[in-house]
Amino acid sequence: MIDALRGVVVRATSPLVWRWPGHAPRKLEAFARAEEGSRLDLMAAAHATPSLARRARYLRHALDETRHAAMFTRRARELRASAGLAPCGPPRADTEELFARLGELGFLAFVHLGEQRGRKQFEVYAAHFARRGDARTQAMFDGILVDEREHEGYTHALLVELAGADGARQALRRARWWSAWRGWRRAGRAITHALYAVLMMALYLIMAPLAWLPLKLRGRAARKRWLLAPPRS
Amino acid sequence: MAAVLGVSGTYHDAAAALVVDGVVVAAIQEERLTRHKNDPSLPRHAMTACLAHAGLAAGALDRVVFYEDPLVKLERVLTSTLGNFPRAVRQFPRAMANQLGSKVWVLDQLADLLGVARDRVTCVGHHESHAASAFFVSPYPEAAVLTVDGVGESVSTALWHGRDRTLACLGELHYPHSLGLLYAALTAYLGFEVNEGEYKVMGLAAYGTPRFEDELRKVIRLDDDGGFALDLAYFGYLADPELGFGPDLERLLGPRRTAYRPWDLAGSADDRRYADIAASLQRVTEDALLALARTARTRTGADALCLAGGVALNAVANARLAREAGFARVFVQPAAGDAGGALGAAILGALALGDPRPAPLTTAALGLPLTAADALPLARQLGLTVTTLADPAAELAARLDDGAVLGLCAGRFEWGPRALGQRSILASPRDPEVRDKLNRVVKQREPFRPFAPAVLADAAAPWFGAPDDLTPFMTTVRPVSGPDLAAVTHVDGTARVQTVTATAAPALHAVLTALAAGGRAPVVLNTSMNGPGEPIVARAADVLGFLLAHPIDGVVIDDALITRGSR
Repeated sequence: MIDALRGVVVRATSPLVWRWPGHAPRKLEAFARAEEGSRLDLMAAAHATPSLARRARYLRHALDETRHAAMFTRRARELRASAGLAPCGPPRADTEELFARLGELGFLAFVHLGEQRGRKQFEVYAAHFARRGDARTQAMFDGILVDEREHEGYTHALLVELAGADGARQALRRARWWSAWRGWRRAGRAITHALYAVLMMALYLIMAPLAWLPLKLRGRAARKRWLLAPPRS
Repeated sequence: MAAVLGVSGTYHDAAAALVVDGVVVAAIQEERLTRHKNDPSLPRHAMTACLAHAGLAAGALDRVVFYEDPLVKLERVLTSTLGNFPRAVRQFPRAMANQLGSKVWVLDQLADLLGVARDRVTCVGHHESHAASAFFVSPYPEAAVLTVDGVGESVSTALWHGRDRTLACLGELHYPHSLGLLYAALTAYLGFEVNEGEYKVMGLAAYGTPRFEDELRKVIRLDDDGGFALDLAYFGYLADPELGFGPDLERLLGPRRTAYRPWDLAGSADDRRYADIAASLQRVTEDALLALARTARTRTGADALCLAGGVALNAVANARLAREAGFARVFVQPAAGDAGGALGAAILGALALGDPRPAPLTTAALGLPLTAADALPLARQLGLTVTTLADPAAELAARLDDGAVLGLCAGRFEWGPRALGQRSILASPRDPEVRDKLNRVVKQREPFRPFAPAVLADAAAPWFGAPDDLTPFMTTVRPVSGPDLAAVTHVDGTARVQTVTATAAPALHAVLTALAAGGRAPVVLNTSMNGPGEPIVARAADVLGFLLAHPIDGVVIDDALITRGSR
């Protein structure tokens, strides 16, 4: 249901999203960051899984994510250059420690859903760029889609192998819930951050008179020289 | 006798170090295990790995020591933001969220994470940790110790006198006057990432002439006693740490360089100007450090100097200090930056509990081990080709001599930002095309970045002069003699040399010995095994992933040569 809704939104908004000046490179950079974050989680999984075969699989997948991040970054730089914008830096991301949090089954289900979502989104974008005659960006999405389909397939196969068909369905259901819960928490965090920033700014203004008091801090700010202990006798 | 875990983190370069009965058992940076470059988080993986390596449970720890005092730091952040009212209005919420949201509770978090009693978790000063990390593993019974970085709690620079088991603080310089923040601000001005691009500035400096020295002396005023003061009008970090420099600096030096724009030192006058600014910054930084070191010499009377803090990773400045500061010997431990604070904190904790001072550090191999047995099953699973070498050192030497680019993974990985023969890429030091290919294809970094040589310690003299206390950990530069080491000679004729002994890096030592036995120069190009934006590899999956993703000719682990291609 949510996925279907998301598909409709992606299809409806992509013409606007990609034509918004300066937005296309930023969107590609966001994809690069997502791929980089995924790489970190997959490397953690490669180190943690007890199975040699799955370790190899996660490692290969992590390398694909690195390559995808580089492809997105490269294309974003090209688009920035053609739009006269400043170049972007390498993608930076944090790990969510998904393997440690969710266990291997939950991790696989989460990755499978992410790959499925990415595949659907990229299919829409590839078609969009084909219509626009932007063969270069379309080729990039097409190239990445080959891997996304493969990732979607192997993660599902592994899920079924580990938990059976019913277990896989349950794991996917749990991962969907967890994903929704994560989204809820993220939204809550964003609102809290905004509220916190306003409160702290108010606090800063309330505390402002302290800045004019002869505080230790003002003495410290003025310490421009060595605070030297007495010389050795 | 005690087991003490030292911890650094929550800003950048998180790390853990374990000292048991006065012996440094393990020291690991978190980024090596999480694969997240400069990982700032509390080093959960590194702490666990240190304990596992020693076969200790967390409950057996007598003390856990954090490398700085979170409350003193909170005080500095509060007073600084209030003292800079109203300019710091945007910084205040962020800084408070950072401090009150997590950093100030770090000791409790450590107790929770490790499951140890809260009263066993303590902290020491940031610069004291730095000083301890340098002095107590140095080979000196007495030394002057200089700690120079961006800022600890509130101190940016400190002078210490180390004697046997004690460190006495002789002087301090406080935030916001900081050599580290000066270097960081100019690093940002030159378009590099702060806490990552400082090495690039150092490499770039060799391409310029210091014609902006007069301008930079307006930015930093050096005093006769080694003190210095920044003209804060040129800086933005008081209002917002992410700003670094302010508009006045651009008025003084010209417009900043656009970040991530490719460099063209041959064709762009602008880029040559930026190189000149880098050279000027390097000169001014060296002069400031030299004045500090001379004061340290006068105040302590010691004939040895230890350096720590991020600024101590400036190998070019270290070389000048070794030449001109009047000390007979100089030492910098391999993880001189904030990661090193974990080691210092652990040692301070151990000394406080009555343990002996650790032995001098003779190797940086303090991480987790890697053997062929760890890597080969995965290599085979990945379809890589594994060849058993009868004489790995000799065969590696022969292949390097033929122009191959090979990884060498041996034993425990390194402590600090340098690959020192445990997780290294090796190549011939002769051919500059190898250097350019490595920069372009493997490391994907700026063309002006130099590569370092590793040389047999006993045979270093003809090319690099005699080894000293700095050369084993690649923390200095030396002039290169002879024309046959073009791939490892920087544009200014120097190299950041590593002298290799059998104790420090046995596998690399064997390769160099094999080169010498074959009548060749016992020198190789040695660079870290990592892709752009990634930490140096640590474990089997990292190593094999690197091999799969980068065009090197293979990786040697113990007696196994692993290559891509059909089995």
